[in-house]
Amino acid sequence: MPSADAVVVGAGLAGLSATLALAEAGARVHLLAKGHASTHWASGGLDVAALPRAVTVREAVARLADDARHPYAILSDALPPALEWIRGMLQHEGLPYVGTIDGPVVPVPTSIGATRPAAILPAAQAAALRPWEPGERLVVCGPGGFKDYWPHAIARGLRRAGAWWGSAGPERVDPLVVELPGVRDRLNLDAIELARLFEEPGWRWDAFAAIRRALIIGGLDGPGRMALPAVLGLDDHAAVLAEATSELPLEPFEVPLMPPSVPGLRLYRALRAAIVRAGGRVQIGQAVVRIGVRDGRVVEVAMEAAARQFVVRTDMLIMATGGIAGGGLVGHPDGTLREPLLDLPVEAPPAMSWLAREPLAAGGHPLEAAGIRSDAELRPVDASGRPAGPAGVRICGSLLAGQRYLRERCGDGVAVASGWLAAGAHRPSAPRRDAPQSLAGEVAG
Amino acid sequence: MSITELIEAAAHEPVTSTADGCLKCNVCNTVCPVSRVTDLFPGPKYVGPQAQRFRLAPGSPPQAGSVMPVLSPDHTVDLCSGCGFCTNACPAGVRIAEMNSRARAQMRADRRPHLRDWLLGQPDLLGRVGVPLAPLANAALRNRAARWVGETLVGVHRHAPLPTFSRRSFRTRWSRSRGRRLRAPGSADPERSVVYFHGCAANYYEPEVAEAAISVLERNGLEVIVPQQVCCGLPLISNGLYAQARARARHNLTTLATFARAGFRIVGTSTSCTHTLKAEYREMLDLDDEDARAVSGATWDICELLLDLHERDRLDTRFGRSDRHLPYHPPCQLRSHGIGLPALDLLALVPGLDAVDLDLDCCGVAGTYGLKREKYDIAMAVGQPLFRKLRESGADEAACDSETCRWHIAKATGIRVRHPVQILAAAYVAYAAAEAEAAGAPSDG
Repeated sequence: MPSADAVVVGAGLAGLSATLALAEAGARVHLLAKGHASTHWASGGLDVAALPRAVTVREAVARLADDARHPYAILSDALPPALEWIRGMLQHEGLPYVGTIDGPVVPVPTSIGATRPAAILPAAQAAALRPWEPGERLVVCGPGGFKDYWPHAIARGLRRAGAWWGSAGPERVDPLVVELPGVRDRLNLDAIELARLFEEPGWRWDAFAAIRRALIIGGLDGPGRMALPAVLGLDDHAAVLAEATSELPLEPFEVPLMPPSVPGLRLYRALRAAIVRAGGRVQIGQAVVRIGVRDGRVVEVAMEAAARQFVVRTDMLIMATGGIAGGGLVGHPDGTLREPLLDLPVEAPPAMSWLAREPLAAGGHPLEAAGIRSDAELRPVDASGRPAGPAGVRICGSLLAGQRYLRERCGDGVAVASGWLAAGAHRPSAPRRDAPQSLAGEVAG
Repeated sequence: MSITELIEAAAHEPVTSTADGCLKCNVCNTVCPVSRVTDLFPGPKYVGPQAQRFRLAPGSPPQAGSVMPVLSPDHTVDLCSGCGFCTNACPAGVRIAEMNSRARAQMRADRRPHLRDWLLGQPDLLGRVGVPLAPLANAALRNRAARWVGETLVGVHRHAPLPTFSRRSFRTRWSRSRGRRLRAPGSADPERSVVYFHGCAANYYEPEVAEAAISVLERNGLEVIVPQQVCCGLPLISNGLYAQARARARHNLTTLATFARAGFRIVGTSTSCTHTLKAEYREMLDLDDEDARAVSGATWDICELLLDLHERDRLDTRFGRSDRHLPYHPPCQLRSHGIGLPALDLLALVPGLDAVDLDLDCCGVAGTYGLKREKYDIAMAVGQPLFRKLRESGADEAACDSETCRWHIAKATGIRVRHPVQILAAAYVAYAAAEAEAAGAPSDG
C-alpha cells in the first residue's frame, strides 16, 4: 500500500491542475482516474467566463462572483494567479496560450460554421482572436475526404447575418477544399491521423505547397486569414505551427473539431508531462471505488485493480470527479442525484424540475448547477453550511455546485482556479508532520 | 436461443456487454499504438464496441441458412496487439482490448490453428525442446538461413527478438542446488514463505531473473517454494487458442489453489503471467470458480510484493550505492494490473540510482505479436518513440518488468534491459561487498 501526501481523483483540467500544483510544490501525489476526461473532448482553449453584454472575461467573472452561490464567489481571487501559473507551465511545455482576462471576449469560428465566445486560446488559434480589419478575407480551408470539417458548410454558416454578433467580421468568407497527398485514399481519416501526417516534415511540405497552389488557382489572395482544422501536429505541434505560419500566405488558425480533440490532447499531454517530470504519478484505467475514513478523516483511497484494490494511504483527497457527464454525480431512479464516493450532500433541484419545458432556454436547465457546495477552502459543506463528509477532502472543477459551465463558459476557469487553490491549501513546504515516512526520505536516512 | 436467454447470457458476460457503454467519443482511438502507425488497423473503437454489436454471443448455434460462417464482422481485429491502453483510457468502462481478444478467439474457434500461432502460443513446449538442445537451437536462432526458413515456412519474422535458450532450465538448476523442494502447503509457514510462479521465460530463457528474485525474497526472510507448474497460458490466449489455454489454466489452478487457500502468497517475476493468474483466467477464460478466485487474490507481482513489504517496514533497504541514470519502461501488462509503478518506488530506494519513468506507450512487441512476419514492422514502428528516447538517454542499461518487452527493446536499441528485481539483487550484493571492504580496510574510513 503506497502512501502519498495527496490523492487527486479525476483526470480533467481540475484534477490535472491540482496534481501539477502539488507535484510542483514537492508533494508526493497520485492522480487516479477511471479514464480520460474532458480534455479529450473540449476545444483546448481556456474558457474562463463569457456572458452576454460582458465585454471582458474579468467583467463576466465579476458578475458571476456577485452571486454568492457561484464557485467564482470563492475563486475569483485565486483565478488570475492560477491562470498565470498554468499558462507559465504550458509555455514551458511548448504550448503557449494567448489572450488575457482583460481582453475582449470575441466570436471565433467553430467547425459547424457558427462562432463561440473566446478570450484565452492556444497560440495555434490566436489569429482568430484578433479584430477583423476592413477588407480582410477568411478562407475556410480543409482537406478533401475529411469528414469532420466541411469548408463549404462552415463558410456558409459564417456568412450568415449575426454569425459575428453584429461586430465586424471578415469582409468575405470563402471555402477551399484542398486535396492533400494520399489523404483521400486513407482507410481511416480522423483528426489524430491528420495531425500525425502533419508531423512528417516531407508530407507537410507538400501539403502546404498544395494549399498555396489552391489559393492561387482559386484567386484567394490576401489580405486575410485562413481557418484550418485543428490538426497541425500533436507532439511536434510547435514546429508544425511555425512552418504553417511561415509557409502559408494567409495567417492560419486552427478550428477545434469533433472529439477526439487534438488541441485538447495537446493540453492533456503537456500537463501530464509536467506532472511526471515533477515526480507526480498518473494512473488511469480503473475507477476509484472506496474512500477509507478513520476518526472522521480520510485515511486511504482505493481503486479497482486486477486482483485486489489498489490502496493509497493519504490524509488528503482532492475530488475532481466531474459533474453528471463525468460521473462525479450519479442520477438515481428515485429522482435524486448522488455523489458516489463519499455520499456527500448534493445540491440539486427537486426531481420534477428536471423535466424542464425548455431544456435549452436562455436561463439554463435547473440541473446544470447541481453539485457539491463548499466553503471558501473548497471543503464540502451541507445545505446549512456545516462541514460535510470526512476531514481532508477538497472539491474541484465541475463537481462544485452553482455553475452553469455550458452557458457561462466558466468550466476551465473554475477547474484551474479550484485545482490550484485546493493544492495550495495543502502546500507541504515544511517537512511533513504526521505523514508516513517518505520513500525518498528513508533512502537519504 | 431465445431473446430472453440471449439477454441473460449477455448480462453474465462481463466483457462484451460493456460495449453498451460506448459513447463513440473516440478517446480509445487517441491512445492506440497500432492505429498510430498503420492504416491497416482502423482503431479500437471500430473493431471493439462498434463491431461487437454484429458479433453473435459466444456459444450461440450457427444461424440457420447463414451464409457467414465466421462470427466476426471485421478481421482486422487480429491486428489488435492487446496492449490494453484503450480499456484504460475509456471513460465509460468499455473493456475494448478484452473484447478484441474474445473476438479473435471466436474467429479461430472453428479453424485448425495456424502452426506458427500454435507454436508461439506454447513457450513451454518450445522450452522443453530447446533447452536440452540449447547450443544447437541457439545457433539456429542466430543463423540467418535458418531464420529465413523460419520466416518462410512458419511465419516468424527473421529479425524477431527471439530469446536464447538457457543451457539448463531454472527448475533443473533449482533442484540441483537446493534439492527438490516440492513442499506441501502444510509443511511451511505462509507468513514466512511465498510460492514462486516462474513462468516460461525465467525457466527456459532467463533463469538469472528467477535466481535474482529468489535471492531478494530470501534476503527478506521469505522461504521460496517452487511448485509444479505449466505455462500460464497467456500466449495461447493472445493467439486466440482459448481451449488449449483453459487446459493449462486448470492445471495451474489445481496446484496453486491449494497454496492460496492455505494462505500462501503466489509471486511471479513476469507481469504477464501474474496478470493472467490474477485476471485473465477469470475474465477471459471464464474460469471464475473458487479456485480461480483464490489464486487471483493470492497472486502478486514481485515488485508489488516487495513494495508491500517495504510499506510494512519489512523490506531490508540496505542497498549498495549505484550512481547512475536508469530509464524504466513500465510494460503494458503492468498497467493492466492497476498497481501503480512499484518497481520505480523500489528502485528509488537504491542510493544514487536515478530511475526515471520513460512515460511512453507500448514497446510494440506485445507478447508474441511482434514476432510474427506480418506484424513485425508494426511492432518496430510502435516502439520507435521509446527506442529513440532510450537511445537519447545515453544510458547503457534500462529496466522493464516484462520479458518479451525486454528482449524487443534490447534487440532494437542494443541497450541491455533487465528486470528491476535483478537490479535490486545486484544492489544487495553491492552493499555486502562494500561492507566487507569496509571491514577489511578500516583505515580507509
